[in-house]
Formats: sequence, C-alpha cells, structure tokens
Amino acid sequence: MIEDRKAGEGYANQLSARLFGKQSAYLPHREPVNIRPVGEMVRALCGLDDGEWTEYAFSREPLNGRFNKAERHKLMQQAIDCGRQIAEECISQYGASGPLTIAKALGLNVDYPRQPQDGGRVLFAEFCPPGDINIFMDAIDKAHELLSEPGVREALGAIHIPDVLLAHELFHYMEDIRAKEIWTKTYKIELWGIGPLRNRSKIVVLSEIAAMAFCKRLNDLPYSPYVMDAFLVYGYSADNATRLYLEMMTFADKTPGTSTTPKEGREPM
Amino acid sequence: MEYVIGIFLILTFFGLAWYCVKGHNLMIGFLIMSVLWGILPLVGTLFVSQAFIDANPILQFGAGTDVTLMNNIVRIFQASSEGWGPILVNVLWGAWFGRVMMETGIASTIIRKTVELGGDKPMITIALLNIVVAGIFTTMMGAGPVISIGVIVLPILMSLGIPKALALFTFVGSVSAGMFINPVLQGQIRGFFPGIGELEGFTQFLTSNFSLYAIAITVITVTVMSGIYLKFSRKSHAWAAQTGGAQVQQNAPFYTLILPVVPVILHIWLGFPVIAGFITAGFAGLFLCGKMGGGFKNSCQLVNKMYFDGVVDTAPLIGFLLVLPMFNTAANFASPYFSAVIGPIMPTSETTVLILFAIVMGMGLFRGPMTLFGCGAATLGVLLNVGDFSVPFLLVAFSIPTIIANIGSCITQSWNAWGLAYTKVESKDFLKYSIPFLYVAGILLFILAAFTVTGLGPEWFL
Repeated sequence: MIEDRKAGEGYANQLSARLFGKQSAYLPHREPVNIRPVGEMVRALCGLDDGEWTEYAFSREPLNGRFNKAERHKLMQQAIDCGRQIAEECISQYGASGPLTIAKALGLNVDYPRQPQDGGRVLFAEFCPPGDINIFMDAIDKAHELLSEPGVREALGAIHIPDVLLAHELFHYMEDIRAKEIWTKTYKIELWGIGPLRNRSKIVVLSEIAAMAFCKRLNDLPYSPYVMDAFLVYGYSADNATRLYLEMMTFADKTPGTSTTPKEGREPM
Repeated sequence: MEYVIGIFLILTFFGLAWYCVKGHNLMIGFLIMSVLWGILPLVGTLFVSQAFIDANPILQFGAGTDVTLMNNIVRIFQASSEGWGPILVNVLWGAWFGRVMMETGIASTIIRKTVELGGDKPMITIALLNIVVAGIFTTMMGAGPVISIGVIVLPILMSLGIPKALALFTFVGSVSAGMFINPVLQGQIRGFFPGIGELEGFTQFLTSNFSLYAIAITVITVTVMSGIYLKFSRKSHAWAAQTGGAQVQQNAPFYTLILPVVPVILHIWLGFPVIAGFITAGFAGLFLCGKMGGGFKNSCQLVNKMYFDGVVDTAPLIGFLLVLPMFNTAANFASPYFSAVIGPIMPTSETTVLILFAIVMGMGLFRGPMTLFGCGAATLGVLLNVGDFSVPFLLVAFSIPTIIANIGSCITQSWNAWGLAYTKVESKDFLKYSIPFLYVAGILLFILAAFTVTGLGPEWFL
C-alpha cells in the first residue's frame, strides 16, 4: 500500500512538473536505479580488458545490426591494432612527450572552453578539421572533484584527464590527414547493391575504437579510456553514470557491484 | 476608446511573446492572457462608442439582448474548454500509441534499418531519415515520441560528422513535415474552426489537394537545405557520453514496421475513426512484438503503464489545450478591437493574404501572431472579421506557419527545447538554420496553397 501511494505521489509530482513547469528540456521517465559509489564503479570498469568493451563500443555504431558477435570482436581487434600502430609511430617520431607536445608540434590549435553541460548527452571534446581541438573543461573540473572520492585515485592512477581527451581527438586528426591510407577510413562493407550500383560504407565506430587504443597507448593507461564515458558523466549525474556503468557491465557479461550510495545532491540530468 | 483598448491588447500580445521567449510555462501564460483578453473587451464595452458595439454583435450583451455577461463568461471559461474534450481524448490515445511504438521497438527498428541503408554517407542518411521520420510522425505525436526517436537519430547523425545544430535542424524539420496529416495535430488545428465537421469529405479533400504535397515539399526542402548547409559547414568529431536508453537494439519483426502509419491510412482513406486506428495498430504491435505474452494481469499492467507514461509525455500539451480554447474564445471578443486598430491594413483577398503571410512567416516564431499555438488565434479572429474566406483556405493559411515556423523551427516548441539541451546547440545556431528554412518552405507551401485551396465554391464555407 505504502509503495503504491509513493508511486502515485511520484507520478503526481511528475505530472504537475510537466503541466506547470518551465517549457524547458524534458527527459522521459525512467525506472529508478540504485546509484553506485564512483570508486567502486571506476574500479570495476578499469578491470575490463579491451575485448570486453566490444559490445558497448558497437552499441553506438549505426550499422551495428549488420554484424554478429564474432565479426564485432574481429573488427574491434583490428581497430585496436590500428590505433596502437599509429600511436607507436607518433611516439617514435615525437617521443613519449605527451599529447599536448605532439599536438603543438603538429601545429594544432588546442582550446579549453568551459561548455556547461546538461541533458542526456555529455560532450567531452571535439576535433574540428582541419586543425582545431576543443577540450571541454566543465566535465573535467567536475571529474577532478571526484578524484578524492574513495577508490577513484587508486583505480585511475596518475591520470591527466585533459591529455586523455586530447589524445583521442589527436587520433581523429591523424585519420583526417591520412584518410586515404589509414585502415579505419579505408575499410568498408557493402550495404546494398542494385546492378552496378553499390553502396559501400565505412564503419564509424572503428575510428572511435582506434582513437581509444591510440589514447591508451599515448597516455600509457592500463585500462580502456572508455572508462571516461561513465566517470566524466558522474560529475553531472550519478544516476546517468550508474546507468552507463550498468550498461557497460552488462555488455561485458560482468555482474555489476551491488553497493549503493545516497544521491548527495547529484541529481539526474 | 476602442483604439486605446485595441492598442493595449496588442501590447499584451507582445508581453506574451516575451513570456514565451523566456521559456515560461505556456499553460499559465495563456490562462493569464485569456483572463486579460476576456475582461478587457467585455469591460471595454462600457467605454466604447455605441456605433462600435452596434457593428460588432459579439460585444452585444446585457439589457435589451438575449445574452448576459454570465453567458459570455461561461462561453470563455467553461464551454470552450469542454468543447475541446474530443481533441484531448485524441491526444491521449495518440500519446499511448506513441508509447506502444517505442516500447515495442517498432519505431527504433525503422530508424536503424533506414540508417543501415544509408551507411556513412551523410546526405543519403539524412534524406532517408527525413523521409522515415516524417512518415513516423504522421501518426506519432508529443514530446515523448519525438525525444525517443531523437535519442536514436541525433547521435547517429552526429557520429557521421554532421554538425550538431544541423543534425537537430534536419531532425525537427522532418518531424514537422509529418504534422500535415497527423490526425492528433490536425484535430487540434481544426478545433479553431468550430463547425468544420459539417463539411462533408473535408479530410479527404485537404489530404489529396494539399497535405500530401505539403509533406513532400517540406521533406524535400529540409533535405536540400541540409545538403546546402552541410556543404558549407565544418565537420566535427566529438567524444561524448550518450545516456538515456538509446542503446536498446532489439529489432521488431519486419511485418510490424508498417504499423506507425496504419492509423493515418485507415483514417484518411477508409474514414476509420482515429482512436480506433490507434487501438487497432497499437494492440497489433503489442501482440506481434510479443509484449502481451506475460499473462492477462501483466499485459493489463503494461498497457496501463504505457498510458500513464503517455499522459506524462503529453502533459504540457494537455495543459496547454485546456487553456487554449479559453484564449481562442476570448480572442473572438478581442478581435473587434484588433480590427479597429489593424483592420484597415488587413488583407481581404486570398492572394493578398497568402503574400502577406509569406512575408511575415517569421512571426510564427516565439508563439507570435502567425501560429495558432500562440497569438495566431487573435489573427484568425481578425481575418474572420474583415473578410470572407473558405475554411480550407484559412486552415491551410494558418497551418503553414503553425507547423513550419512554430513546430519545425521555434525554440519554444517543447521537443525543440529538449533537442537544444541534448545536442548542446546554442539557440542562435539553430535559428540560423531554421529561419531560412521556414521562409523557403513557407513560400513554397503558400504557392501550393494558391493553386489548391483558393477560389473554392460555397460548399467549403461555414
């Protein structure tokens, strides 16, 4: 009875907020989740190996429905190899001096705007051809506050988040200038054909996977930079970050941790 | 004195426009306007000339007439809202149907299959998605379904390197295209024309003479303009975390993919009732997608939950629709005062109306006087006062700015506001794309209207 009444009150609150609230951004109702402590979340995600990120990475791929599990794993490995190879080439050319030094040597314009975030999508960084990279500091500043939470520093190690984001975008620059030869841009699949007419397409997520592998190597990270997806979102919404974490663990066929934490003012976006 | 009151009413309109631009709640805003536009014209009859009252029967009440002040109050605040009951019921069933299409995975499967045809070529994908999105929104309606489709479509477009403002523009533009035959939205627009149900064969006439062409013109315009914008814009590759449940990849059976357009096909071509269409296609979707297999009790709970969620999805629209008829009726009382001030410059021929409306299309933004979901109710009242126009003509003339400018291009539309927040697009960047679109599409649609709904016979007059 009490649960029914609580559900009824929740529904009434939701309805009245929609009726009388501002005409602003609106996210559809979602079932509540138990919010996980950031330390536990990050530790679990850092424990995933590269292959275990395959299903999560491909879940963002528009052509995902075209591949079976074995094909996804094969493509994942090829993309990781491609990213690593480009990273090795960079290191051999510029030394292990860090992404910012390489970006400067390449003449890239790296900017650090704030870009406050809300809504269901958190923007970390972007590369705008031919040579502009924006690292959005709002997400990073929020994440820095989380580094002091129990277990976070231990899991992530001595990380410099702007460099992680920069390295990812640096790979997209590399792709852009080597578009005719780099594997992520030249590998294509045939979507359909009518007579001589053929529609062949690149696989967008391969670029992202390779960029993550490039970033991992350049920053010497022992875990996949995909961890940042959930970690950086946590600063805005522990609820959304937990949902991402659960999704990632489910895709990796792992059981998520069950300990919970109070919301502590970090409301869902 | 009528000029003074007329000017004051116009000032309140600008106040409402400011209120809307600030993003305040439309239901409350229009309630305040209903009170102002109800009280001022009625109280104003104490101060205006007798000649003015004699020329405007709507302002004649009290001693010596059959109408009392209480009759007018009832008309504005009671009968008007009650009269919109049928429209509200359609909205609620439409919201339920939208939820069914989302929860069964039918709508998302259509989007994914479409994208798999287009691949990494932005223009092919944009064109295909625009057609499909317009098709989906010929029946689905409300912020919930638009957002549910948006969280699939927008990341896909952005992952292809399409700038975020352009991705949002092309998506909401194609949503607006479907509205030209969307039975729920069309029901709302027709609510502004009492007695329209008496016109035999109206839906079929409008659909075959205007609406289908309007959808095609809007989709082509938004696609071509997206192509032009894309050619001159910078690509970008973003690293962003996407939350919000867009990752469900379960495909609905292929034979269910036709269901989103079934209600509108049944309604327009077979005269099937709209609600019956929603129920038929909705339950067909639930059964065919295996959602009703958990026993009778669980199935009932599922149907119930979708109805609950649908009501929340459309709550602002429902609230708005409860108040809008009050405002429309109050606008009838205010229209003689508007006529006194702006009547001399209002056009009385159909061609002039179309030309003028094309020029001032932009005033459909920010709930201005060109959208029926804003101050356009007053404009409609003034036009009805100064000229003799057929119902199809007036409905089309007002539908174009209401759909293209308000729904497809304006930041005050609830799902457009959501899209701006979701994609992190500045309002001005979105409007840079949408304002040229609303003029190009608007002009093309007014030209279409000039050929299809002008010079109609007496059977189309009320």
